[in-house]
Amino acid sequence: MSEVKVHDLTKTFGRVTAVRAMTFTAQAGKVTGFLGPNGSGKTTTLRIVLGLVRPDAGTALIGGVPYDRLASPRRSVGAVLEANGFHPGRRARDHLRVLADAAGIPRIRVDEVLGQVGLAGAADRRVRGFSLGMRQRLGLAAALLGDPQVLLLDEPANGLDPAGIAWLRGLLRGLADEGRTVIVASHVLSEVAQTADHVVIVSAGQVRFAGPLSEIGAVGNALESAFLKLTAPTG
Amino acid sequence: MLPLIRSEWRKLSTVRGPWLLLAAGPLLVVAGITGLVQSGGDVHDPAVQSKALAHVALAALFTLIFGIFAVAGEYRHGTVTDTFLSSPGRGRVVTAKLAVYAAVGAAAGLVSSAVALAVTAAWWSAKGGSYQLSAADSWRTLGGGVAVNIAFAAIGVGIGALVRNLAVAIAAALAWIALVEGIAGQLVGSGLARWLPFSASQAAGRADAGGASQLLPQWGGALALAGYAVVFAVAAMVTTLRRDVT
Repeated sequence: MSEVKVHDLTKTFGRVTAVRAMTFTAQAGKVTGFLGPNGSGKTTTLRIVLGLVRPDAGTALIGGVPYDRLASPRRSVGAVLEANGFHPGRRARDHLRVLADAAGIPRIRVDEVLGQVGLAGAADRRVRGFSLGMRQRLGLAAALLGDPQVLLLDEPANGLDPAGIAWLRGLLRGLADEGRTVIVASHVLSEVAQTADHVVIVSAGQVRFAGPLSEIGAVGNALESAFLKLTAPTG
Repeated sequence: MLPLIRSEWRKLSTVRGPWLLLAAGPLLVVAGITGLVQSGGDVHDPAVQSKALAHVALAALFTLIFGIFAVAGEYRHGTVTDTFLSSPGRGRVVTAKLAVYAAVGAAAGLVSSAVALAVTAAWWSAKGGSYQLSAADSWRTLGGGVAVNIAFAAIGVGIGALVRNLAVAIAAALAWIALVEGIAGQLVGSGLARWLPFSASQAAGRADAGGASQLLPQWGGALALAGYAVVFAVAAMVTTLRRDVT
């Protein structure tokens, strides 16, 4: 119902083909790990799904609808794309209120999500003084603001301390167990091995593997060796 | 549309930068009028009074830069991603920005006008001059000045959306005003030069423009400026809709 379906997606920047005929589906109720080396097209794919980048060919649908046709995007999809989309002089609570205003989300949600990501105590501080981990948490708060059925997260563990990573793992698990679709782009394989139900492994803009993590085996270094084999340059 | 306008307003009201920038406008008016009187401006000459009030249009330099921040500032800080996630209809985002920035530009122009009137009155009474500029011409000068502040804010929004790189956009706008328009004016001849944006803004901000000066009549300047504002707004809209946000 709220699955994310990417079909035959292709995107070229100048002479570089960032995404090549990419096809995969992320199911509701599952955490889908979106894995690939740097420059493999993960972020570009997420940006196409979110309507920020226009594909040359193919479709990206959320619950059967492209992002820019969603009736209220922030209530359907939450995204964390970079840990730095903040005005340094704006307070955390104000950052979220700007987004809540635009999406018509009641103000009470702002304080709810600040509590949910553990930033209640920093709500009135300017983002300038935030650590990378705090910025990640604020980005997550923004993604959760509209209580969306779909979450797209690009390297959300980046900058989090071990306690933060454990907390994030629990959060993502919980969100998926509530029936939401969770996509996590990452190259921290050990983390994905602990969180994801399904994995999509991409390299050079193409899908190399898509399926349940159990098919690869989450034991020991199974994911890492599969990843390295699947993404190795092919002469 | 209303939620986006509210969001744009909150973006402005929750940071300090834009207000410090806009505060420079009235300060420039105070300094400019003071300089005019101190450098020997004749306080009995209505033309000098008009020139004093016309500083309101000069203060629009700051609403221009203010406008550039609307879109280019969002690219600078990366907040543009979240803005377009909230509203994939980017045309509506640009429209909301134009509305809010034009309204704030108007407010800045009104503050500059009030300051211009007060400072002019103070200097004229200090120097024992009689205020001879007709009320109608005073209001037309100030009204034109406010209009220039609005138009420059809108043009700034357009420049920022076209260029996106904040530093380049501001440098280009300032270079145009300080240097390039003068050179371009010499190349195209004074007949056409009067229609260039900064020259048009000077005409729009003077009730006695036209006359002996090198400027268009006030209504002509205002019309030309409105044309530039529309062109930049449309260009901002078209480019913003198409571009990838990477």
